[in-house]
Amino acid sequence: MKRKSNKLVVSLILMLIVSCNDPETVVTNYVHPDGSVTRKIEMKSMEGDGNKRFKISDIQVPLDDSWSIRDSCEVDKKGDTTWIRRAEKLFKSIYEINLTYKSDSGSNKKLSRQAGFIKKFKWFNTEFMFFERIDKKLSFGYPIKDFLNDEELLYFYSPEKLKSDKENGPDSLKFRALRDSVKHKTDNWTAKNMVSEWIGDFSKLTAGKADKGISFQNLKSREDEFVTLIEKDDKQLDSLWKNGILLKEFLGAENALKYKTEADSALSIVTNNIWANFSDYSVRIVMPGKLIGTNGFIDSSHVLLWPVNSDYFMTEPYKMWAESKLPNRWAWIVSGLFLVFVLSGVIMKVIKKD
Amino acid sequence: MTPENEKYNKVLDLLRKSKPELDSTEDIEREVIKMITKVSHSGLNLSGVIDFLFRWVYIGWVRRSLIATSIALVLVFAYQQTIILKRINFLSRQTIIIDRENGPAPADEVEKMLMVYRNSGRRFPSKNITISERQMKELLESVNELQLKYKDLENLIEGDPEFKKIIERKLIENKRTKINL
Repeated sequence: MKRKSNKLVVSLILMLIVSCNDPETVVTNYVHPDGSVTRKIEMKSMEGDGNKRFKISDIQVPLDDSWSIRDSCEVDKKGDTTWIRRAEKLFKSIYEINLTYKSDSGSNKKLSRQAGFIKKFKWFNTEFMFFERIDKKLSFGYPIKDFLNDEELLYFYSPEKLKSDKENGPDSLKFRALRDSVKHKTDNWTAKNMVSEWIGDFSKLTAGKADKGISFQNLKSREDEFVTLIEKDDKQLDSLWKNGILLKEFLGAENALKYKTEADSALSIVTNNIWANFSDYSVRIVMPGKLIGTNGFIDSSHVLLWPVNSDYFMTEPYKMWAESKLPNRWAWIVSGLFLVFVLSGVIMKVIKKD
Repeated sequence: MTPENEKYNKVLDLLRKSKPELDSTEDIEREVIKMITKVSHSGLNLSGVIDFLFRWVYIGWVRRSLIATSIALVLVFAYQQTIILKRINFLSRQTIIIDRENGPAPADEVEKMLMVYRNSGRRFPSKNITISERQMKELLESVNELQLKYKDLENLIEGDPEFKKIIERKLIENKRTKINL
């Protein structure tokens, strides 16, 4: 919700934006070898008072009374108080975590989220994989990797603190240029997703009754033209749409009038999907054994970290995963003894033969 | 010579003259050798155990199977370790270590450190810790600030006898002692 390239976007965001009382939340999953997970949530808030401070409806991840909860507060040098709520619960299996996601009543309840745990016995080692996945919001969007190069992608997925550190660090000029480049390209990506999604939804709503001129393939072939039109007049986009001027450009005067209702409905679906209520948070994972693979960042305490931002799962599922391994010592010993046994037998035979 | 003695001598002569006829001398020989071997190896027979354990060496298909299994084990081990090392190397190159943003770990770590500190007779464990210049500056600032506040508090207490009495009473009530920093 940070890239507001036009008035329409701004107005929609203002309409849909969630409460500013969202606590700053970090979820940490301590994964155990048997598949159980100790989940800890830390919420920080400087707003609100009493129980209203951490309302269930404001919290980004599922939390209920079955958790062990501790409240505390910190006062900084300026005298500002930060209220902290720490919650902890042991989930016997991933199934229990997924159940809580399904029954979530928090601020991100509309998202489809799952956790997964895979354990693979590979004789010498046992490998573990844990992931949290958020399903994509758009059906007709484009993957972000089509718009950004590797360096830009890394910046795009980076935690905010890392971004700001780099932008204010020794290579600040380079990183500010990178930030601007990413912003420009992601604005274009958002516009293209918006148009693509609108075309998809509009075609669904007009399925069977629309003329060939406004068929899905036809509109899709003119997608770039639409995007250019939107980006060119982004400051007046809201009024251009309300007055039907944009629709006339898209569909022609006759179709614009005929399919006005479907077009408005499609836009409503698009805006609801793109700018759905979402509160950012962070996910951390602590794996058993030695880490062998991940797509996350590692923080100074050697814990994996992923920021969760609504852009990350707009057009593709956002999967935060980590893999680790634990050596099976007993298997190493058994294998070693077996090798010595076979080798001794072979040597003995060779000696006796001589 | 009495007739009884005569009879006895006759039987004895007869027995001396009639030698036993052996049916199978080889069998007897084998049995005798077996008995002798048994007697001489009445304890644990190591070579017997080894012969028993490694009897498979003389069975062609078992020997080949076990050798093949051993080779497979070595190959699997080498392959797994190579893959894991490659992945760890890749991970160390691609992952970015960042300063902690926020999270439950700090509180936990502080709690753990405090516990260690208390249990170790209020001495920090003898290991090197690395802190950044910024953290050092923050620490020094905090200590200075704490000392200033402590002084202010002392002045406040000294300046107000009533307040001093209340504080002393409370301290006694709570069995608190002043911590020497």
